[in-house]
Amino acid sequence: MNSHLDRRDLLKLITASAFAMPLQLNAATDKPLYFDEHEFTLLDALTEHIIPRDAHSPGAHDAGVASFIDRTVAHAFLPEEKESWKKGLAEMNRLSMESYNRPFLKAGKTEQVDLLEKLAKAESHPKTDGERFFDQLKGATIFGYYTTDIGIHKDIEYKGNVIQEQFSGYDAV
Amino acid sequence: MLLQFPGPNPNEVDLSPTYDAVVVGSGAAGGMAAYVLTSHGFKVLLLEAGKYKDTGKILHSMEWPYDHPRRGRMPDDYHALTLNEYNVRQLPYAQNSPYNKVQSYVQGWSGTDYSKTLVVDEKENPYTGTRYAWVRARAVGGKTNIWGRLALRLSDYDFKAKDRDGYGENWPISYSDIEPYYDKVDLYLGISGHPEHLPYLPDSKFQRPVKLNYSEVHLRDTLKVMDRVLTPYRAGVTTDGLKHNKYRSKCYGRGACNRHVGGCDIHAAFDSPTGLIRPAWDTGNLTMRTNATVYEVTVDKDSGKATGVSFLDSETRKSYQVKAKTVIMAASTLESARLLLLSKSSLYPNGIGNSSGHVGHNFCEHMMGPSVSGFMKDLVGKPKTNDDGRPGGFYVPRFRNLDGKRSDFLRGYGFEGSSGTTMLSSSAYATAGFGDEYKKHVREYAGATIEMGAFGEVLPRFENFVDIDPDMKDAWGVPVLRFSYKFGENERKMAKDMAVAGREMFEAAKFEVLSNSDQMLPEGWSIHELGTARMGNNPKTSVVNQFQQCHDVKNLLVVDGSTHVNASCQNPTWTIMALCWRSCDHLADQLRKGEV
Repeated sequence: MNSHLDRRDLLKLITASAFAMPLQLNAATDKPLYFDEHEFTLLDALTEHIIPRDAHSPGAHDAGVASFIDRTVAHAFLPEEKESWKKGLAEMNRLSMESYNRPFLKAGKTEQVDLLEKLAKAESHPKTDGERFFDQLKGATIFGYYTTDIGIHKDIEYKGNVIQEQFSGYDAV
Repeated sequence: MLLQFPGPNPNEVDLSPTYDAVVVGSGAAGGMAAYVLTSHGFKVLLLEAGKYKDTGKILHSMEWPYDHPRRGRMPDDYHALTLNEYNVRQLPYAQNSPYNKVQSYVQGWSGTDYSKTLVVDEKENPYTGTRYAWVRARAVGGKTNIWGRLALRLSDYDFKAKDRDGYGENWPISYSDIEPYYDKVDLYLGISGHPEHLPYLPDSKFQRPVKLNYSEVHLRDTLKVMDRVLTPYRAGVTTDGLKHNKYRSKCYGRGACNRHVGGCDIHAAFDSPTGLIRPAWDTGNLTMRTNATVYEVTVDKDSGKATGVSFLDSETRKSYQVKAKTVIMAASTLESARLLLLSKSSLYPNGIGNSSGHVGHNFCEHMMGPSVSGFMKDLVGKPKTNDDGRPGGFYVPRFRNLDGKRSDFLRGYGFEGSSGTTMLSSSAYATAGFGDEYKKHVREYAGATIEMGAFGEVLPRFENFVDIDPDMKDAWGVPVLRFSYKFGENERKMAKDMAVAGREMFEAAKFEVLSNSDQMLPEGWSIHELGTARMGNNPKTSVVNQFQQCHDVKNLLVVDGSTHVNASCQNPTWTIMALCWRSCDHLADQLRKGEV
């Protein structure tokens, strides 16, 4: 055996995993596992607010972030974790009712953003249920978005996880 | 014909011979002891509490997160302890946890599904006492399967530190004693780095160094003016390949070692199973028994010598005894101390090798937490480069107190750092807000980020120790460790200085500072625990001699991090292996002469 891996072996390392795993659920066509239809639509809209489509790349909706959160929450081991999502989404509607007399999705785009901005002010040191839910939602959206092919390749344009004969960069002189 | 690695089922391993040596633990130290002694022609039995896991098959280093059903995360009934849990919960940490499996904080990083079978379940392996983030791996290779790879030498600034500042004890060896063995470890296992000719951080026999990116070159140039050094990560990774080891590939710069908890499925990064154990196996002199949870060193009442060890099969719980001419403890700093303390007899009422009362004491490590992060303005919004394709970023060696005590604290610290675009950029979590602005900011700053965190010497103190808990037992019925260990005033002062010095360097480089913390992480976080059976010339104040033989029991060796006299601020793995090689050469000589 050669002391260095054969290029073909390395290619096998990269491709093997892609075929071993079941296909991911598609956000557009599959029924949510945990959330009801209304909750799922609300979650999808909220994640798209956090990371929206822009001229550079698609956003959380296209990356199927709500679907990933739904799948994660459906399999969550602790009932509290599941419930925190249901309660959080209900809290978003309650806050919207309080301010605009309409549930979140019925409020205008600017109103939705205003509401989220109020919650985002307390980011990292949340005190209210709504503020805590904003942090939870943002954390899950970040992980859900930046671990997709859209997040990694189209948005961040990450160049790593490739085989290189030479390291890239500069010599220390 | 030789049996194929890793040999027969654990229960079928032949335990009837009296082996030349029984080695307890198969990590960096145990692997090295097995390799050196089998190469000298001695018959070695290697005992490992965990199983053999082929990391080449389980790590999936290049799997994209979106090709994994949980994006690399552990199953839902697993839980990794959080920083907050270490801070607020009473020990044992997994007590009353609703999860089926509870693991240490390292399993809270990304890609942890791959390492979940290497790290112990805290429910099965409790411990008590003071706060301590204890990371343990029970599997062939131990923590070398997931280690951080920074491979540094110690120098006489460390071995003779007492001569410089009067604190603690000198080691019974000098740099010149261990230098040839550092060279052997470098050449046999492969190490990457760039020579800097620093007396306090000696160069290794380096293979191809990793490269620096734009921000790092800039910081290196800035530090030169400050009489400080930034050097490419000295990685225990073969970047040019090793003609003598067919189990290891050279590094292909995939950067996978930074994206998962650690580990390398092509074994360019050193791990004990491919770097040491398989070569030992190929000599035909090695027998390996996995699932062997050792609970006692056995002794001969007449001669006082060690006769072997007793262990439980980790699955069947059946007890076994094995005989050997020498017993070599390599179970890790804390587990080896636990085993010495558990091995009580009428001859050794305080535990074997412990007439000094120093076993479990002088416990030390590296303190971490203080850090600085920021970004380089020139790089904001620039096209992305592959900054993630290397086995490590950079290292800033110690610059404090090199000529004695010059600060309000003793000893020093170094910084480990990295910069540029990663797969899941730290800028995503560091950027406030949401929406278009947020998304653009994350994208544009991802390549411009740079961060470094300090690793500082925790002074060895007799009053920092572990002993055996009088009541609690682990899942195998073996009494557990009780911690009496806390950072002190020196560490608190050092932490403040780390934060100030970190900011000072970033500001000198004109980096925009985003965060700067002087908060120490909990004790244990560095996974560099050391010193519980320190070496020395005086049997009253040390446990082993310079060849890691117990003063009280010459055929009992302790070859892991236990024997460090001080922690220095350099990562310990390379020193553990160099010392072990030296001790096993010496032991081989003694075995040949019939002197043990």
